[in-house]
Amino acid sequence: MNVLGGCMGTTGPSSINSDTGKPYGMDFPIFTIKDMVNLQLKLIDSMHIEKLFSVIGGSMGGMQVLEWAASYPDRIYSAIPIATSYRHSAQNIAFHEVGRQAIMNDPDWYQGNYYQKKLKPRHGLSVARMIAHITYLSEGAFQKKFGRDMQSKVLSWGFDADFQVESYLRHQGSSFVDRFDANSYLYITRAMDYFDLTSSYKGDLSLAFKKAECKFLIVSFTSDWLFPSSESHEIVKALNKTNLDISYIEVESDKGHDSFLLEVNEFYEILSGFISGVSRKINI
Amino acid sequence: MTNKINQNLISSLINNNDKVLDIGCGNGDLLYYLETTKNIQGQGIEISHLGVKESVTKGLSVIQGDADEDLVSFTDNTFDVVILSDTLQATHKPKEVLKEMLRIGKRCIICIPNFGYWKYRLQILFYGIMPVTKTLSEPWYSTPNIHLCTIKDFINLCNSLNISINKAYRNTQNNIKKIEKPDSYFNNLLSTEGIFILTKQ
Repeated sequence: MNVLGGCMGTTGPSSINSDTGKPYGMDFPIFTIKDMVNLQLKLIDSMHIEKLFSVIGGSMGGMQVLEWAASYPDRIYSAIPIATSYRHSAQNIAFHEVGRQAIMNDPDWYQGNYYQKKLKPRHGLSVARMIAHITYLSEGAFQKKFGRDMQSKVLSWGFDADFQVESYLRHQGSSFVDRFDANSYLYITRAMDYFDLTSSYKGDLSLAFKKAECKFLIVSFTSDWLFPSSESHEIVKALNKTNLDISYIEVESDKGHDSFLLEVNEFYEILSGFISGVSRKINI
Repeated sequence: MTNKINQNLISSLINNNDKVLDIGCGNGDLLYYLETTKNIQGQGIEISHLGVKESVTKGLSVIQGDADEDLVSFTDNTFDVVILSDTLQATHKPKEVLKEMLRIGKRCIICIPNFGYWKYRLQILFYGIMPVTKTLSEPWYSTPNIHLCTIKDFINLCNSLNISINKAYRNTQNNIKKIEKPDSYFNNLLSTEGIFILTKQ
């Protein structure tokens, strides 16, 4: 199952609205991180799964993990939020807004009704992805990967992709367009922007975890400036006010936010240790 | 990190099923030992990434954090026992750390290396150099131990903070003895380490 509002399985803006026989487009309702979790809950209910051994996720997935622990505390044994936050920061909302503006100002967007015209806001979505991709890496990762390396030996003295980093970003943008729906991008980024776990708990994050009963492993990365360690540390501080078992580790990495997809070896040992610790304590 | 002798002593001071916080838990050996022998509910705090990694890999609950910064976020009396073993001397604000420990724990166990031990005194007296010992092996310019003290210093601090020392032990040549008068001149001179059980007044 992929994410609610996406374009690779679960219903999203590109799905056919049975009332009209056309894709939903902008008629698709705004949804939240909690809606994503509620859908997952329905799934496990339908499979008669009483309690999940673990919920794990990075970035937006980490937001869902935190939502699980807060909203359905009796349905999970352990929670592993990675490179995430309990609320989307102003800077992150700002980056999302630039991406959305790029899409919505693309003449091929047609207020979200591009499906029937057999068009896509290719340029807008591609620019959105290029911006987002910059936020997933780090200054050090860019420098290490590309430096000032050129595509050819001479400058074009124009605006072609002279630098390898430009060509890389253009490729990231254009390949994303082929596999992702622009409207899904709008809706999903909005769901992240609207996420603030403290909003239903008088602004006090520790109250969100008051009923939580799972074991936590929180992971952040030193070079992640999109979801910096300081935000994971806020989660840890809130959890310290509960009576729960908490582990928190800040992994050294220069790969930025993307580290959570890349630092596999470092993860493996920590995760397997944590998981065996949880199974020992709950006698599975 | 805690040596075997202290480990046994600490273990004897802890009740089954206690909720225990180990501040500066290193690679988690003590917590692991207490979880397996005393079935404690253990929580650790450790500043080094490697220590946290090794601890979590053992299946322990350990937060990467700092005694100076992270104790404030715990609520009063969260733990039955708070352990600070060979860590006080590496904190920036030992006084605040002590106060916080007593706030969040019902009992505290503190192990400190004793710089009043006669061999260390002789190193300064005869060689004129900062003492370097087996357990504190780093030279002055690279040691993380920025707040070293003697048993007498520690007792004076407890007195000034109105902290009562419930029990005290001393370690001499790998031999643990209970001490009735922790502040005696000879205990300070003859012990490599002091181990104190503190309770709120």
